[in-house]
Amino acid sequence: MGLTADEFTIQFIATLIKFAIVAGLLLQIPPLMVWAERRIPAMMQRRKGPNRVGIFKWRIYGLMQSLADTIKLIFKEEVVPEGAQKAFYHLAPVFSVFPAFLIAMAIPYGPDIHAFGTIIPLSVIRVDVGFLFIFAVSSLAVYGITIAGWASNNKYSLLGSLRASAQMISYEIPLGMSLIPPVLIYGSLDLNKIVEAQNHFWKWGVFLSPLSFVLFLIAMFAETNRAPFDLAEAEGELVAGFHTEYTSAKFAAFFLGEYVGMFVLSCLASTMFFGGWQIPFIDVQKLDELTGFIGVSAIFGHVTLMLKATFFMWLYVWVRWTVPRFRYDQLMSLGWKYMIPLGLVNVVLTAVVLAAVRFS
Amino acid sequence: MNPYIPVLIVLIFGLTLGAILSALAAFLGPRNPRPEKSDPYECGVPKVTNANEKMSVKFYLTAILFILFDIETIFLYLWAKAFPQLGWFGVIEIMVFMVILVAGYIYVLKRGALEWD
Amino acid sequence: MPDFSILITHGVFHLFAALITLCSLMVVVSKHPVKSAVFLVVDLFLLAGLYASLDSHFVAAIQVLVYAGAILVLFLFVIMLLNLQPEELKGLKFSAVEAGTLVISLIGFLITIVTAFKGDQTGLGDGSLDPAAIETAGGNTYVVAMKLLTNYIWPFELASILILMAIVAAIVIAKKDQKKPAAQ
Repeated sequence: MGLTADEFTIQFIATLIKFAIVAGLLLQIPPLMVWAERRIPAMMQRRKGPNRVGIFKWRIYGLMQSLADTIKLIFKEEVVPEGAQKAFYHLAPVFSVFPAFLIAMAIPYGPDIHAFGTIIPLSVIRVDVGFLFIFAVSSLAVYGITIAGWASNNKYSLLGSLRASAQMISYEIPLGMSLIPPVLIYGSLDLNKIVEAQNHFWKWGVFLSPLSFVLFLIAMFAETNRAPFDLAEAEGELVAGFHTEYTSAKFAAFFLGEYVGMFVLSCLASTMFFGGWQIPFIDVQKLDELTGFIGVSAIFGHVTLMLKATFFMWLYVWVRWTVPRFRYDQLMSLGWKYMIPLGLVNVVLTAVVLAAVRFS
Repeated sequence: MNPYIPVLIVLIFGLTLGAILSALAAFLGPRNPRPEKSDPYECGVPKVTNANEKMSVKFYLTAILFILFDIETIFLYLWAKAFPQLGWFGVIEIMVFMVILVAGYIYVLKRGALEWD
Repeated sequence: MPDFSILITHGVFHLFAALITLCSLMVVVSKHPVKSAVFLVVDLFLLAGLYASLDSHFVAAIQVLVYAGAILVLFLFVIMLLNLQPEELKGLKFSAVEAGTLVISLIGFLITIVTAFKGDQTGLGDGSLDPAAIETAGGNTYVVAMKLLTNYIWPFELASILILMAIVAAIVIAKKDQKKPAAQ
């Protein structure tokens, strides 16, 4: 690639550091979200939620409840159901965890750092195909669910996994179609270039392509099997869905995969439609020059993206406690009969308008 | 640096983490198996039949339609990547492509294959 | 050590090649249909790694997206749908003649493809498949897109007709089954 040995070393060390930071961040997501999913509805319903568990006398709003729960969870007995396909039963959590981590590493968490005579991108993985990488890997997430449901030898698990995987593949198409207009507008598949192109508040994807954003938002909820589309684990019908028979650390693994998936889609929504690491009306990339310190822009950009992603994570919880659950036939017809035609119309309209503006 | 070195690192990390989580329970938790406990959960009553029932053909149809529309989306991405250079020519090209596929979509709709009942 | 990176790439290629061979063997040897399908998933995922090590980024992504992520989902669905037990599959056997014909025709097909596309130029100046030349021309994905939408426009439009045919065929077959009372 024409890199000298020094550059290679710098990039390699930078990759390891970035990877360690992002991995550390991702492992914090499930405990924080478990806490948020109890405190936010408590706030909405004017009750307290978990607020006692703390370290010594510091209660910090019950934040330690998640830690206590995690410790309790992983020390529980593992019950493997009778007649389960043993190898697949143990393999399913692995299939559920690794795609989530792979796609999370492809998000640009901040502007490029110009340091040590080279450019260090702030996404761990940056490949030529851009965010097609995210689609490719996230399409593998279906297997964790399918295999888990099938291997458990339980009717509820099997039904839940079939429902969940049919739902996920159905909404993958509108999800993919909703991101084509931003690609047309910003002219790139690379997420970092898309963010750089949104350098002005009114150039954000949500203003230039609002229909895409609506489609993406709906598909995002369906992809992660969250309310109002959480039919895969509709308690009244299917107990807990595909992970009915999973206990202890394996159950935690499914949680990890699920919450990291939610976080990635939140980041992706912020990146495509809300300017990613761009702060409105401030040129983040200039902050390095202004302050004279390398990395200031990276920190500010990163915090901005995290705040935007936090909003979407909060939205997940908000919607869960506000909107009633769909019926399965309604869910499928929403995906196939409304969102796919709308997505196609959106692509055609954007293309024609853009072509009329740019090539006339 | 080859862009796939980070991919490999993350892949190995993800697989290891998943494997550790999957194996952890066997080392940390107690072991106290009883026949009632390891019975597949069916709301507390004894198991009636096995879980290997035949499923509705709808799921199969969904999967096959997904593949076909997924391929269409990929072609749209390819076109979107080359859109600035191709201009109106590209727009017309993709319109022809889409009209043919929309015909297929309408056929699916008219045959009621998207009705989930 | 400027060659370090290249060394890794070569090592990865051979590692992937070996793993793919192993997984393919497991697909064929496994008695359980789901086991075969899962090995096939791993196999096709590794194949993407092989493409990536050859700097064919777009094909690698599509390999994962379409084969590992979509077609194999269908395979798994069908296997779960039919829920064939390993005992039921015992009777399925290829005779030596059938297997031989299949292998020979597959190899013939491969040779035809290779000879048909041999010497096909990328049109990037010197006409080579040099990754650096593709990189300067705008990246692998961009080059594939431009090639497909200009030089190979007829195959591209024909692909839509192929997909249309597949859609119609799928509906016809599925609807034929549904005339009988379907097992819900």
